[in-house]
Amino acid sequence: MGFLLIVLLGLSMGLIFGVALEKSRVFEPGMILGQMRLQNFTMVKVFVSAIVTGLMVLAFLHGFEFVTLHPKALSVAAQIVGGGLIGVGMVVAGACPGTVFAQIGAGYKDAWVILAGGLLGALVYGYALPLFAPYIRSAEKMTYADITGLPFWLLALGLAALLFIGLTLLEKGRPSASEVGAEFDGRGCGPRS
Amino acid sequence: MVSLSDKAWSPYVAGALIGLLQIPAFLLMDTGLGASSSFVKIAGHAALTFDPAVSDGSYFSKYVTSSKYVWQTALVIGIALGAFLSMRLSNARREHISPVWKEAMGVSSPLSRYLLAFLGGFILLFGARLAGGCTSGHGLTGLAQLAVSSSIVVPSIFAGGIATALVFTRRF
Repeated sequence: MGFLLIVLLGLSMGLIFGVALEKSRVFEPGMILGQMRLQNFTMVKVFVSAIVTGLMVLAFLHGFEFVTLHPKALSVAAQIVGGGLIGVGMVVAGACPGTVFAQIGAGYKDAWVILAGGLLGALVYGYALPLFAPYIRSAEKMTYADITGLPFWLLALGLAALLFIGLTLLEKGRPSASEVGAEFDGRGCGPRS
Repeated sequence: MVSLSDKAWSPYVAGALIGLLQIPAFLLMDTGLGASSSFVKIAGHAALTFDPAVSDGSYFSKYVTSSKYVWQTALVIGIALGAFLSMRLSNARREHISPVWKEAMGVSSPLSRYLLAFLGGFILLFGARLAGGCTSGHGLTGLAQLAVSSSIVVPSIFAGGIATALVFTRRF
């Protein structure tokens, strides 16, 4: 695919992604903070339903051998520390690396500063990596299908079903209509408020 | 059922739509949804332009050459365009800084918010690169592939986030 086509494909997919992030309200810092405070579950609802759909899509596409999977390499210590830092950063920034761009589009000025901080973080990481690369042990890229020996499509559909049941129960306990808030930003909602 | 002029959609409809984007991502680009590599691509171009000491074998080199990251950078720019469009069509214009920062953290001056935003962005991307992906790459795409690595990263994200939120924020 040529450069222009790749850019157009990325832009048009991003357009849909951005609309979905804005309409779900998950891009709001109030939604991220609310999720991490466990007072608002909008983020988990969006996140898990995207995973359920993704599991079904890949069960089909991989099951019928249209695509190959690209799981990321396992590196336990780096991934526990790195994941923990992402969580800290999500609360301090009020965004994740993808929703920063939705915040910029929706008009939050501080999102431009998050972007600047993120670019510096990526730059510093690239320069600093040789210092701690010897301590990051990167094992092979594996999935739970490799570990168990079960077919990927079976495990993927099984997990999708379990997550679907989980979402149904979550909706019962925390109806989505009660989690949007009067200003659609997750403020002033959730139980006991 | 859902319209672009709505201010909010069901989180399940929006989530399912995001998950469906994995179809063109895997079929046409042989990759899944992700966001944090685009930061490395842009930072890498800056490093290569201004620092002759950055060699071809550096961490940045694959990010500035592979077309996968051109696609991902276009994707994140598209996210901004899509959110802008969605905001305008639903007339959901808002304040320049969310009032949640004052209510949840007591941060009321723009300058203190900008300092925290910069710090937060730095930690976010440093962590994402250390983990090898972010909420999209490990969260959405990694878990949908049943990746062992992603099943370690995602609980760590929630552990770090919940601990930070419980210590530094109050109910809003």
